[in-house]
Amino acid sequence: MERIEHTFKGMGGPCRLRLEVDTSAAADTAIAAAVAEVQRLELKYSRYLPDSLTSRINRAAGLGAPVPIDQETAALLNYANTVWRESAGLFDLTSGVLRRAWDFKSGRCPAQQELEKLLPLVGWERVQWDQDNVYLPERGMELDFGGCVKEYAADSAAAKLRQQGVSAALVDLAGDMAAIGVPEGTSGWPIGIRHPVSKEQAVARVLLPEGGLASSGDYERCIVIDGERYGHILHPRTGWPVRGLVAVSILAGQCLVAGSSATIAMLKPPGDALDWLENLGLPWLAIDADLVVHGTMA
Amino acid sequence: MSRPKDERNKTVLALTSSALLLPAYQGALADAQPEFTEVGMRYSKYDEDDILSRKAFGGGSERYEIDVAQFHLLAPVADQWSFALDVAWEDMSGASPWFVGESASGSPKVIMSGASIEDTRTEVSGTTRYYFDRGNAGLNYTYSDEDDYTSNAVAVDGAFNSEDGLTTYSAAVSTSHDDIDPTQGTIPTNTLSARKDVNSVWVGVSRIVSKRALVRFGLSYTYRDGFLTDPYKGDDRRPDERKEWAASAGYRHFFDAPNAALHVDYRYFNDDWDVQSHTVDIAWEQNLPQNFRVTPFIRYYTQHEAEFFYNLEDPSYEYFADDYRLSAFGAFSYGLRLRHDFGDWSINLDAERYKTDESWGIYSGEESPGLVDFWRYGIGLDYIFR
Repeated sequence: MERIEHTFKGMGGPCRLRLEVDTSAAADTAIAAAVAEVQRLELKYSRYLPDSLTSRINRAAGLGAPVPIDQETAALLNYANTVWRESAGLFDLTSGVLRRAWDFKSGRCPAQQELEKLLPLVGWERVQWDQDNVYLPERGMELDFGGCVKEYAADSAAAKLRQQGVSAALVDLAGDMAAIGVPEGTSGWPIGIRHPVSKEQAVARVLLPEGGLASSGDYERCIVIDGERYGHILHPRTGWPVRGLVAVSILAGQCLVAGSSATIAMLKPPGDALDWLENLGLPWLAIDADLVVHGTMA
Repeated sequence: MSRPKDERNKTVLALTSSALLLPAYQGALADAQPEFTEVGMRYSKYDEDDILSRKAFGGGSERYEIDVAQFHLLAPVADQWSFALDVAWEDMSGASPWFVGESASGSPKVIMSGASIEDTRTEVSGTTRYYFDRGNAGLNYTYSDEDDYTSNAVAVDGAFNSEDGLTTYSAAVSTSHDDIDPTQGTIPTNTLSARKDVNSVWVGVSRIVSKRALVRFGLSYTYRDGFLTDPYKGDDRRPDERKEWAASAGYRHFFDAPNAALHVDYRYFNDDWDVQSHTVDIAWEQNLPQNFRVTPFIRYYTQHEAEFFYNLEDPSYEYFADDYRLSAFGAFSYGLRLRHDFGDWSINLDAERYKTDESWGIYSGEESPGLVDFWRYGIGLDYIFR
């Protein structure tokens, strides 16, 4: 057994593949397929790339013509709809427009008026979609797959590795991880969950068996005004940062499910979020604003 | 405030079942054409134990031996299509029971055909398969030829996955037309030329019930029409129709800690010749380090005799067969399969021991002196062109 590591840039961050293979020759094809899969999803769904499907959907908003979509996108919209429903509307693919009002580098809060102008553009329930088309009914509305595509890409890259005959591998897309198999002689991939403040320190060490581990954190991108923390996770109905947990990590069968669950927890008020995580039945770890660590993985 | 346990995982369940509709999670379940061309060669030997002298006239005798060589090719062609070619060569030799006579002591004994049977069979089978989003469909043609027998068979099958990808429905129909022209040699045959048609339908469903478990059920019906008698067996007289039903169920469970899978299968068979049988198969697929997999398995089979099975003939019977395969018996077989993958190669070794006895069955009947024990062993090598 050979252990091979490959790093690359993708989905706006550092990515790493770890593989256990018989021969490194077979690994090259597998790695190429996994990297290509991450790039494919980035090119297709990034809202920063003008030719992406997401950009085309957003440009067509309010113009009267639905945009044709493929089966994968329809399934992704269907999934987003499930998360929206399960989170009672907190997870909303259209809430990305609110970021136009928030510039986390500027160190200032937007005026309430700015937010009032954007809030009418938020509303997943207004998006018209079916298996073949999607349409945003108002000019200025936007879809942002950022809340689920990186996690989905981790799972999909892992699936590519498996299709290439790799039996044990870990895909790590800037902290969102998907594993197939386990390293020989172990019961899982050893993963340290980083402390949100002291980055070099691990809050917890877990063994990730086949499945996914995703983290959602609010500590890195935030502004502090008069001692008050404003994180980058915005409430879809107020437009203001949610005053919730600081970091959540969840382990699930799929990185996608782990990621959406972590995002839902981040969007809830801290007390509700901890109850919700407790009841979810998945291994979890959360850090509150006082940097107290909670959860079954703590 | 805690919610009740049922509701607890409802969110996870909703998210997971919705996520599983995405293509990334469906790769493992189905239905993409094979990505690479695969070829395989296999050699196996089937070797019946000698018949005991107390059970045969003229002392103990060697029985059947079959050498089988197989070639397999599976290749993707065009978009969403695959083609498979399977060729098998069999060389059969030895003696088989000719008829059963009564010994001086009154117990039935087998009269063997002598080492007169020497036959080769060639079978060529081509399958083309189309893969679509939620399933696949295949068309197969098989031609088989031996000195005294030719068979042409066509089969169509399809599999369709449910929207959540967890349930697969399958169905197949097949028809074969066989020509029998027994070799005229040292033993007399009971026909010069005959025909037989076999038509069958099969439906099945399998469902992934959890991340680690799968169940499946199947039902089949086969209608045989024509010359169903064994041309080389003494006074064999069988009906020219046979209607067969079979129902099967299976369960697979994967265990994380030992990295192994348990397979349990059951099959019930019933026909209008009054043959009924039960088969139970248990296998433990153990994955080992270095890409080895070892699978010990055990099978139990028990059968009720056909209504016209007798050891000794009476001309007043409308139908008569002394073929041990239609007698009441029980059989155990056990064995081991070993697989090793290295790079683009994989090697398979297997050995199986089969032993049978009238008293092991759950149905009682006349014991046939022709019951057979055998060994089977094989070796195969597969290669994937990546």
